[in-house]
Amino acid sequence: MLELEGLSKSFRGKAAIANLSLTARDNEYLTLLGPSGSGKTTLLRLIAGLENPDSGRIQLNGEDITYARAHERGLGFVQQNYALFPHMTVFNNIAFGLRNRADGAVADDNEVRKRVATILELVGLEGLGDRSVGAISGGQKQRVSLARTLVTEPKICLLDEPLGALDANLRERMTVELRKIREALGVTFMHVTGNEAEALAMGDRMIVLDDGTAAQVADPNTIFHLPATVRVARFLNAYNILAGQVDQGAFLHGDTKLPMPPGMAGARSYAIRHDAPEFLDADEAAPDGYATLDVTFIASEFMGSRVLYIFRRPDGGVFEVERHLSRSDPIEFIGGQTCRLSWRVHDALLYDEAGNLIAPAQGRAAA
Amino acid sequence: MTDATANTIDRSVAHKPRQGPSFFVRHRHLLLLAPGMIWMTLFLILPLAMMVYVSFWTQTTFSISSDLTTQSWQDFFGSDTYVAALLRTLKIWIIVLACTFVVGYPVALFIGRYIQNRVVQTIVLVACVIPFWTSFLIRVLAWRPMLGREGAINLLLQDIGVITEPIDYLLFTEFSVVVGMVQIYVVFMVGPIAFMLARIDGSLIEAARDLGASSWTIFRRIIFPLSLPGVVVGAIFVSVMVLGEFATSAALSGRKTNLLGNIIVTQVGSLKWAFAAVIGVILTIVTAVVVTLLLRLVNLRREL
Repeated sequence: MLELEGLSKSFRGKAAIANLSLTARDNEYLTLLGPSGSGKTTLLRLIAGLENPDSGRIQLNGEDITYARAHERGLGFVQQNYALFPHMTVFNNIAFGLRNRADGAVADDNEVRKRVATILELVGLEGLGDRSVGAISGGQKQRVSLARTLVTEPKICLLDEPLGALDANLRERMTVELRKIREALGVTFMHVTGNEAEALAMGDRMIVLDDGTAAQVADPNTIFHLPATVRVARFLNAYNILAGQVDQGAFLHGDTKLPMPPGMAGARSYAIRHDAPEFLDADEAAPDGYATLDVTFIASEFMGSRVLYIFRRPDGGVFEVERHLSRSDPIEFIGGQTCRLSWRVHDALLYDEAGNLIAPAQGRAAA
Repeated sequence: MTDATANTIDRSVAHKPRQGPSFFVRHRHLLLLAPGMIWMTLFLILPLAMMVYVSFWTQTTFSISSDLTTQSWQDFFGSDTYVAALLRTLKIWIIVLACTFVVGYPVALFIGRYIQNRVVQTIVLVACVIPFWTSFLIRVLAWRPMLGREGAINLLLQDIGVITEPIDYLLFTEFSVVVGMVQIYVVFMVGPIAFMLARIDGSLIEAARDLGASSWTIFRRIIFPLSLPGVVVGAIFVSVMVLGEFATSAALSGRKTNLLGNIIVTQVGSLKWAFAAVIGVILTIVTAVVVTLLLRLVNLRREL
């Protein structure tokens, strides 16, 4: 178990990590979602011992390792650029840790060979051991980098945007592979990413980093359906966020009055998921318990199984609606056409002035 | 059928005025190569061939004729003095090479890896070259007042009482020649190594550390192997210059240490062109062998 307590680190007076606490349990896949500049790489480097924190504590299985040296921590760090040793073969890259670690190096060549062969098979690179690392593809480099770390049996494996440099096809395959490899080894993975889909898909638990602190820690399902802050909702890239204030029991956004669930006094932001709105005819009235918004069509984006419609709100902002084609046929709009959107009031999430979620009232239907 | 005829006519019409690309376009690569090839032929291949040719000329005391003979070659290999000079040249070369490496590598390591700032790196590298702003001979001769019987080092050692009698060994020996050469050529070792070291991606070192390797292991298994191309390039620079050296040994050995270069100078001075050419050929072969061996160590084309 890895525990971080009140960890802080700043560079030139600017805080990269500010008073961050979190726990990584044994045998779990933990994803850290953070936009660029949220301090996610710094966090991994602090845990790996490549940087020293200004304050706070890092504990691994009850032992304080805050200032332990990197090569004595027993953690694995898979770097974003793979950092393979260019003058060695795939085999020697993977065997490097086993042969050269200061603590518990494996001297027996047969043992090294056996363990490297096992890990090569696990990451699906059988027979590539003798290749030079310059002669393998990007996806294979990624696997070598992972194998090189995993073969040393780290207590926790830190992955810095492991899929960032792969093309989309490969990325999807590695998503499944990474989970499979992790389950086979039972080691905790801490996977940092800027891609919300990756974080949601891969994590048993998920942490959203914002400005150097953990904005939300929960399972991906909870984070997706109930983002704890406006900024988390924004990172998820799945919510329309409307600014405004409460006026006589409704949410006033520009000139538009949106009904809202009861008990939401003090709300300043109104979030509605891209897939919640329905299309109405231009003068069709919405049934009770539904909110409506008149918008102007700008463009649509066909994404295979779904279509993303982009509209302009009355106040000039953009409003996105996503339709899954398995649920409804695509609708053709003409540019400039006015549409009426409506959604269940209970699907809306409201956030107070500080950006925190106002707990939804009882009786809200589970999504 | 009609189609085919139309095609033929079309083609003949289109091709008449211009038959493919022009001569200059087709032979562009030769034109681009020409200046370099002419230069190399005039100033490298011809002189080398001439040197080999002259080494077989007949040399009498005051004249030389182009009748071919192996006399000069027999003279060289028949004389202990000259063979000893060849061996001495090789010995001095090995010692100077080793010393420039031992002195230069740590300096390069400091410049290439410990100085993080690229600007400071460049400044320090340029500072290494500052001695070159003075003339070569001055730099060599400056060692005389340092190393002599009454020189700075002897006086200092006597003053602090390490020695009672001045050490004679310091000046006009092979030692002083080595000192002079190392001082002059070490910078040619530092430059390429520092360059290679600075190119090593810091994330490799972090990765090695993360895999549990200690600093010494990281140096031995990652940093040093990756800097080898720099070492080889530096070694080639130093070797080529040291093997042909004559000025340092002339100035600092009191004419006691004769290298092949010194013999060439003497022979040319007494107009013994054929004999000088023999030594020139031998020196060229030695240098070629040394460079080839050094290049064998590392696949420079892959590494650079």
